[in-house]
Amino acid sequence: MSRFLTDRTRSLILASVLASGLAGAAAEAATSIDFYFPTPVQGPLARELTRIVKEFNDKNPDIEVVAVYTGSYDDTRVKAQAAVAAGKPPGVALMSANVVLEFVLNKQIEPIDDYLVENKLDPKTFLDDFWPAVRPNATIDGKIYAIPYQNSTPLLYLNADHFRAAGLDPDKPPATWTDLVSDAEKLTRREGDQVTRWGLTMPSTYDYCGWLIQSFTMANGGLFYNPSYGGEVYYDQPSTLGALQLWKDLAFKYKVMPQGVIDPNQVSADFFSGKASMVVLSTGSLTFIRNGAKFPYKVAFMPRNLRNAVPIGGGSLIAFAGLSPEQRKAAWRFMSYMTSPEALGHWSRFTGYFSPRKSSYDLPEMKAFIAEHPDALTALQQLEYAGPWLAVYDTVAVRKAMEDQVQAVLAGKEEPADAVKAAQKAADEIMKPLTAKITASVSP
Amino acid sequence: MEMAQGAELAAPAHGRAPALAGWRRRVVRPYLLLAPALVFLFLFTYFPIVRVLVDSLFLKQLGDQAGRFVGLANYARLFADEKFRTALLNNLVYAAYTLPATIALAIAFAVFLERSTRLNALIRACLFFPTVVPLAAAAGLWIFIFLPNGGLIDYYLGWLGAHSINWLGNPDLALAALSLLTVWKNAGYYMLFYLAGLQTVPGDALEAALLDGANSWQRFWHVTLPLLRPTTAFVAVIALINVVTNVDHVIVMTHGGPDNATNLILYYIFQTQTEFHDPGKATAATVVSLAALLALSLGGLGTLERGIRHER
Amino acid sequence: MSARKAALAGAGTALLVGVGFVWSTPFLWMVVAALRPEGYGPTALASLAPDFVPTLANFELAWQSADFLVDYANTLIVVSGILGVQLVTITLAGYAFARLEFRFKEALFYLFLLQLMLVPPILIIPNLTTTVRLGIYDNLLGVMAPYMASAFGTFLMRQAFRALPRDFEDAAVIDGCSFLALLHHVLLPLVRPTLVAFAIVSVVAHWNELLWPLMVINSPKRQTLVLGLASFTQASEGAAEWGLIAAGTLLVTLPLILAFIAFQRHFVNSFMSSGLK
Repeated sequence: MSRFLTDRTRSLILASVLASGLAGAAAEAATSIDFYFPTPVQGPLARELTRIVKEFNDKNPDIEVVAVYTGSYDDTRVKAQAAVAAGKPPGVALMSANVVLEFVLNKQIEPIDDYLVENKLDPKTFLDDFWPAVRPNATIDGKIYAIPYQNSTPLLYLNADHFRAAGLDPDKPPATWTDLVSDAEKLTRREGDQVTRWGLTMPSTYDYCGWLIQSFTMANGGLFYNPSYGGEVYYDQPSTLGALQLWKDLAFKYKVMPQGVIDPNQVSADFFSGKASMVVLSTGSLTFIRNGAKFPYKVAFMPRNLRNAVPIGGGSLIAFAGLSPEQRKAAWRFMSYMTSPEALGHWSRFTGYFSPRKSSYDLPEMKAFIAEHPDALTALQQLEYAGPWLAVYDTVAVRKAMEDQVQAVLAGKEEPADAVKAAQKAADEIMKPLTAKITASVSP
Repeated sequence: MEMAQGAELAAPAHGRAPALAGWRRRVVRPYLLLAPALVFLFLFTYFPIVRVLVDSLFLKQLGDQAGRFVGLANYARLFADEKFRTALLNNLVYAAYTLPATIALAIAFAVFLERSTRLNALIRACLFFPTVVPLAAAAGLWIFIFLPNGGLIDYYLGWLGAHSINWLGNPDLALAALSLLTVWKNAGYYMLFYLAGLQTVPGDALEAALLDGANSWQRFWHVTLPLLRPTTAFVAVIALINVVTNVDHVIVMTHGGPDNATNLILYYIFQTQTEFHDPGKATAATVVSLAALLALSLGGLGTLERGIRHER
Repeated sequence: MSARKAALAGAGTALLVGVGFVWSTPFLWMVVAALRPEGYGPTALASLAPDFVPTLANFELAWQSADFLVDYANTLIVVSGILGVQLVTITLAGYAFARLEFRFKEALFYLFLLQLMLVPPILIIPNLTTTVRLGIYDNLLGVMAPYMASAFGTFLMRQAFRALPRDFEDAAVIDGCSFLALLHHVLLPLVRPTLVAFAIVSVVAHWNELLWPLMVINSPKRQTLVLGLASFTQASEGAAEWGLIAAGTLLVTLPLILAFIAFQRHFVNSFMSSGLK
């Protein structure tokens, strides 16, 4: 019996060695680069992106892009960095727009400027075709480090039937925070002290939470962070405090929103099942909502308190350092294929994300699409008020410093005033390695 | 025999064959047999431990290309980090929630389902089935089970007043929720060990107790349970290892949240390394965990050895 | 049996059946959800009573979304590779500790036992570096290597060998039988139940493992089933297709479930007779 096992094991190991050898040989024929990507909805979007990559490979037989679906934005970041640390970097990755800075600090990616120059394009004008809101996150120290691929903003989705039934006009969505609260109060239904329908639901798990608190802060007139310098966040400013206060009051004072931390899956499930009349979700989920909602719905700008302002979200393409010259050529061909106005337009129509390129919207197919889908038009119009996404030294840790506090507030364990102070303190601590450099460098 | 060792390198003279064979038997063969295992143990357990001890003395932050020696500073930062203290506490609470419950259920299941009837076999299969589901897969499912307003628990237990409970979003409940998942997953697995252990309870002991007028509960408590002590020691060790090493559900379901309510030590290490880019703190945390595990194992192994000796 | 006792026994059985049912609920729901056509309002999503026409669409989608055949193959390779080497290391080491006397035996045994607690997952960070240095990063060998020595298995085998009467080995020595022959023809068959029990524990553990393969493997060609599944359930700007997740989970767990159903009796019996006490 032991002999049988040894034989089987041996042949299995032999088989796997052979297989990997063969695979290696096949790859030699075409220049191969890995492309890591996350998607907002697993399933259809991952499949579509894989199909697009396959299309590229078919059109370019001397290049083989291996599409690796890597889960969420955070997972993609972890895997990409692990691969770099192990000496096997991918070629291109689709990364959270605001995490590009981290890769630059770690010297893991190459400036796109170099690629542009090599291909006779002008770095100074390259981003002109892109919406202003997406440029800051893509540019670091004056150099372009990422090409925006898919972008989003938070969006208010509302159930038109519920609005009408509550005596509200779905074509006049809540424009201010005051409207938001009063509409939500009218929409919330109770049976005894059980809530059967929430006026509003918003996700507050990691990543979404930070995005939305930034969104409310910006709508409250605040900046949230310093986009020119990666060492400053404005967590304990009145604008942020006001945003957090609103969020808390929605759940505890006005009781139009569930308490506790809410998962985005729950938000969409509640919207579809009619348990929530208004939800805040990314524009990246627009297609998903459009396909899944069996009732008339409308989308609207995020309500303002002082001004209309939202952060962008989404992802950009980055190119890794350490590629061979052939791989660099392949990477550029792939990236320019993926970011042509047509390609970006198609992806936008498929997902609900924006095309970050203005010229996509000049194309006939896009014009037709927008005409047919007014919700996409609203999402697009909000772009005028969009600004860059939190991007600082050690973004994820700094983001989580705030998110942990927000989650504590939403669970009723912390007061907003204490929460923002604690978040600021934690964030400053995290960014010390960067800020120490500037506080120490002043010398006569 | 000592002089034989001095002569070992000489050509084996037949007069010395027994001594040589003795040396070979006592020194070469055991180490030869242990060699394969030792190689892997060294490469993947003991060498890494040394590495981690060394690495924990260096600081390398985001943007640094090389690390700086900082002595015990990483440890100071580690203990000052509230997330670390929370993770430690959470692990203890998680162990307290899961260990007694899983083991008690495992014993109960084994005792009640000991007889080999078709029905028992079917129920045992139902109980054991969660073991063959990867924790990561089970976690994906249980996100739905815990979903407020429409998840499985909400749907079926709503009438008990469990309506709209945000299991995973409430810092007070999240760890309990994960514990529930763990108990569901592991009770059937440990039940198997106890089924085996019950085979070793000698029938005569139980009969003697019966003759003495003991009822079933007394028989169980005074005869069966003590004789199951070696099994319990064994299961406790396995269960404790699982408590420390199984964080797949945290990775898939909660990412340590909300507000670090489900942050466990291994997840903290993973997160500190991959998300917060702080290898100094991550390795320091690893060293602390190793020390704790070492203490536990020295204590636990003593019990294990005693338990084994006891049954013999 | 008195009427009261019968009633109690009946109630007990009912309770046990109830427990079994409750325990299976997640699985039942998984099957129902996987067969549910897409786009069904999540209100009824929790219902265990299927009130729709079952469809295999979710399975098709799940199958397309991840390269399941490759994942299956990789998982099989990992699991059997680990087990194969483990069987060798634990048998040899277990025998050494059970039967042989040598210097440092106690100390070495404790070194082994410590590994029971100082499990590879705790050491992911340094092990990752070692894996890279050895050139087995992003490679199935890298996934397998840290587990090839198993303290748990060594301990089990030591117990098993100790429980054997020495007559066989004494006879073998008198017959001039070589050690390997002794091992192969005599001892191994006798400890087979323990080996089987350990094999089952090892296979289940490594089939289901996430964290270490997640760290080591990047290329989709070398993904294991659990890795494929984990990326399924993670979405970035958040919305989940439950039917798809359920179908994917079923595809991943099905082989083990089938194996378990087929070998259940065998499995339980080998635990019982393995001397695992």
